[in-house]
Amino acid sequence: MTFSDETLNAYVDGELDAATRAALEAAMTTDPQLAPRIARQRTLRAQVRAAFEPVLTEPVPERLLASVRGAPGRAGNVVAFQARPRPRWSWPQWGAMAASLIVGVLLGPLLLRPSAPQAPLETSGGRVLASGALAGALSQQLASSQPPGAPVAIGVSFRARSGGYCRTFLLREAQPLAGLACRAGPAWQVVALAQSELPGTGSGYRQAGSALPPAVSRTLDELILGEPLDAAGESTARAAGWKP
Amino acid sequence: MAELRAELVELLPRLRRFARVLARDAHDADDLVQTAVERALAHAGQLRADAPLAGWMFGILRNAWIDEQRARGRRGRVFAAAESGEQVADPAHGAPLERLAVQDAVARLPQEQRLAVALVLVEGLSYKEAAHIMEVPIGTLTSRLARAREALQAMLGERDGA
Repeated sequence: MTFSDETLNAYVDGELDAATRAALEAAMTTDPQLAPRIARQRTLRAQVRAAFEPVLTEPVPERLLASVRGAPGRAGNVVAFQARPRPRWSWPQWGAMAASLIVGVLLGPLLLRPSAPQAPLETSGGRVLASGALAGALSQQLASSQPPGAPVAIGVSFRARSGGYCRTFLLREAQPLAGLACRAGPAWQVVALAQSELPGTGSGYRQAGSALPPAVSRTLDELILGEPLDAAGESTARAAGWKP
Repeated sequence: MAELRAELVELLPRLRRFARVLARDAHDADDLVQTAVERALAHAGQLRADAPLAGWMFGILRNAWIDEQRARGRRGRVFAAAESGEQVADPAHGAPLERLAVQDAVARLPQEQRLAVALVLVEGLSYKEAAHIMEVPIGTLTSRLARAREALQAMLGERDGA
């Protein structure tokens, strides 16, 4: 008895009826060609499955969780999430609002740190603002001359399409965080934040830029007008108080 | 509705995997998942109580994918890296070469074959469930699967032999 490829496939896929399966398994003991044909199909099935298996254990992007919760807004639509004044905020509102830009970061410990002046973030009017050492570094630190072990590393500085200045940064927390902040009046508004995989050591000018997690670099791509500032441009912008 | 949302959260990893087989590019795939979730929530009333949520969602995602492909066609855009065969592997995920080779081979399959592969080989659905989602008879599904397997063997075998 000969078996077609489709029959062997159905066997590998667990779709064969009991009678055909019994016949096939009996034939395998006498037909030396059969076992390798089946093994090839088994291997292929396993290979294909294995190729996509890692997706299952990737962290689910916050924006998808937000869409299940029924949050408004589309992916990457950073503008829609900026400056929505709210007299008070609660965690659920927060979750929805911050969804597309804060990726894989537990904000609680950063916002509600016991030593309040040290917290790198604060919320105000529905926005996340840099605070403490982060705010200081964003205003003062130059990527071209920053100490290697500083708690905040500045990456690239650039002009946004909207006119203002933005800078990427790396917060050297126990879990390093990479983010992007834009000048908003006297403050720095954090418009993207994600966990960084790299420790961010070294003082290369674009170090923190090249180590950016995808969520942050996508935001950068969306906002940037032209090229990042060079060392002279960065220095000039700082001297002007980051006013456009 | 709260129950549906909770089940959807559970299902998200599988939906992302399914979408990744179809769209290859991780960002495009997540866009598909998001569209499917939004459509599902808007039409939650159409989900029959006895129907498995996964099958319903795969069907919605498949339709979203087909709509997206048509829209891209209308805009005259070249579809992501898949069709051009360009590698868009995310180095952050450090996928071993073999995985990339298999993903690449799957991405080169014609759409309908890729869909059959996604549902049966990756998601492990039965022929009956997969045919239902693809809205084709079982015979059509099995012949697409057979052609997909031949093509994959040829592409991957070629590589091994090279």
